[in-house]
Amino acid sequence: MASAAATSPVAAAPAAGAPSVRRWLARHPFVAYAVRRFAVYVVTMWGALSIAFLFYRLIPGDPILSFMASLEQQYGFQQAASQEIIEHYREVFGLNGNLFQQYVRYFYQVLVTHDLGPALIDFPTPAQQVIARTLPWTIGLLGLSIAISWVIGIVLGAFAAFRRDSPISAWITNVALTFAFVPNYFIALMVLFIVAYRLAWLPSSAAYDPHFEKGFNWDFIQSVIQHGLLPAFSIAFGFVCRDLLSARMLVITTLGEDYLTFAEAKGLRPVVVMLRYALRNVYMPQVTALAIQLGFIFNGTIIIESIFNYPGVGNLLVNAIRILDFNTVQGIISMSIVGVLTANFLVDLILPLLDPRVKYWR
Amino acid sequence: MGSFWTLWRASRKFRIGLLILVALILFAALGDVISALIGRGEDPLELGIYNAWLVPSLAHPLGTDRNGRDILVMTAIGLRASLLIGVVAGVMATAFGVVVAFVAGYKGGRIDSVLRTATDTMLVIPTLPLLIVESAFQRNISLLQISFVLAVFSWPFAARTVRAQVLSLRSRPYVELARATKLTDREIIFEELLPNLLPYIGVGMASASVGAILALAGLEIIGLGPSDALDLGILISFAISWGALSLGAWPIIVAPVAILSALFIAVNLINFGLEEIYNPRLRSIAGA
Repeated sequence: MASAAATSPVAAAPAAGAPSVRRWLARHPFVAYAVRRFAVYVVTMWGALSIAFLFYRLIPGDPILSFMASLEQQYGFQQAASQEIIEHYREVFGLNGNLFQQYVRYFYQVLVTHDLGPALIDFPTPAQQVIARTLPWTIGLLGLSIAISWVIGIVLGAFAAFRRDSPISAWITNVALTFAFVPNYFIALMVLFIVAYRLAWLPSSAAYDPHFEKGFNWDFIQSVIQHGLLPAFSIAFGFVCRDLLSARMLVITTLGEDYLTFAEAKGLRPVVVMLRYALRNVYMPQVTALAIQLGFIFNGTIIIESIFNYPGVGNLLVNAIRILDFNTVQGIISMSIVGVLTANFLVDLILPLLDPRVKYWR
Repeated sequence: MGSFWTLWRASRKFRIGLLILVALILFAALGDVISALIGRGEDPLELGIYNAWLVPSLAHPLGTDRNGRDILVMTAIGLRASLLIGVVAGVMATAFGVVVAFVAGYKGGRIDSVLRTATDTMLVIPTLPLLIVESAFQRNISLLQISFVLAVFSWPFAARTVRAQVLSLRSRPYVELARATKLTDREIIFEELLPNLLPYIGVGMASASVGAILALAGLEIIGLGPSDALDLGILISFAISWGALSLGAWPIIVAPVAILSALFIAVNLINFGLEEIYNPRLRSIAGA
């Protein structure tokens, strides 16, 4: 942390002859903080992408040869592939050259050209296009279910905190405690069994009914909503429980505060006191928690999408792995790393601006 | 043992969690007994020994699967395999995590920032895709290998929890005193810090074990994972690939899911219970 010294005013002040940059940074702590946080962001990104890259290459076995082997197994022919063909595919899939050359090319592809090479799963469409097709489904599913569960969780949590002596509140809290950490794929399996198979109320797989024309017509939208309900519920349920618990905890700690007593004494309605005064303290910690959890959220979505056969990124990943589609898999993993780290970085930057009490820099 | 009974009396969550956990371990340990009781001299896991898809009855409390195997016995044996994988992965992850945490928390300074950045990096990486890739390219991965891979991805959790505790303990007066009396770093770590951290390390290990079990179950549900194991995740994946859900054969899917959930809930309840006891401020806040 070379820049850490620069951010501390104490360290910078006695150095009279220090470069003016240092003095300027000392007077602008937020910029210094942002620069330092950006450095951490770059280092973490490099580390994470390197781990992903090396992890891949260290797996014993040659992806091209094992793909050939699986082709031979599948179609029952003996293909003594010529060396030229194998070399050609090595080049197409970025596997030629030594480890260092591959490493450099990998970073160049991911960060600069965004060109991942052809996808086996839909040869010869470039992998990035195949991934881009599935992205809206995942983002829509995740975004909606997180947003909805956030609101429900915070409101229920605040309710449980305000009426903490009532039996309903105790009941809600205990249910949340029980289900908060049950993996979402268990919820998915149970919902699938009860709602989709037993009761047959909602469809069990896919994201829309192919009978309807894709586009902005009511039938199609209705079918998208119907197909999305079960996966969204499976993702949201655990979130509601966890948000409820943490919101309840945060609200309870503020309950004795003077400003709440004052708000009540002014004669404000309890709903207003709860939403406008007590909940103010809940939003920010919840945003941070959400950013930290993003990696897990993506983990969970992979399995949910696979269970419901939902055409999102997670399902694509599982299908791509089944046929050993190297480029697509690598693209999805790199994308998820870049996405999660960037989201964390942005939240850390924006949070101090939104909440004046947060001071990461000192 | 005295402190155990204090714990037992102090928190209802701790009591319930521990009871569930002990019941599950007993169920797994008695797998062979259950097998003998149901099989009556035959092996109830042999293919085609009973009729397929029997509904639950007195002879087969959870019915049979597509290959005519008894589901109750499969569940008990599967739980044993799951627990084994979890414990192996959990111990490895915790050991590594604790070492990292002690070095980072105790040494502080630059070593701490490097190790913390590494830990945080591992924490934010979506690890499941990497795990999936690993198991896909190594079709016949063994149980020990998969436990190792699971451990590689779960040590950061243990490291983060323990590091925070080391940091808070390091500045306590009795550690200062130990340092003032010129105890070596090793003596301070092993004689002063470690004993006080054991509850946290225990909880961390339990969480890491359960995390590994569930990660493996997740892998198996999407049809990837070791091929030689008969654990609870495999049961679920059998159920899905046989279409048990649409056949209405609920026990083969409900039993493993319920048991794994109970395991997870039990460990979390113990965790909450310990927090309440060791963190009295929390108890007054949390109420119940």
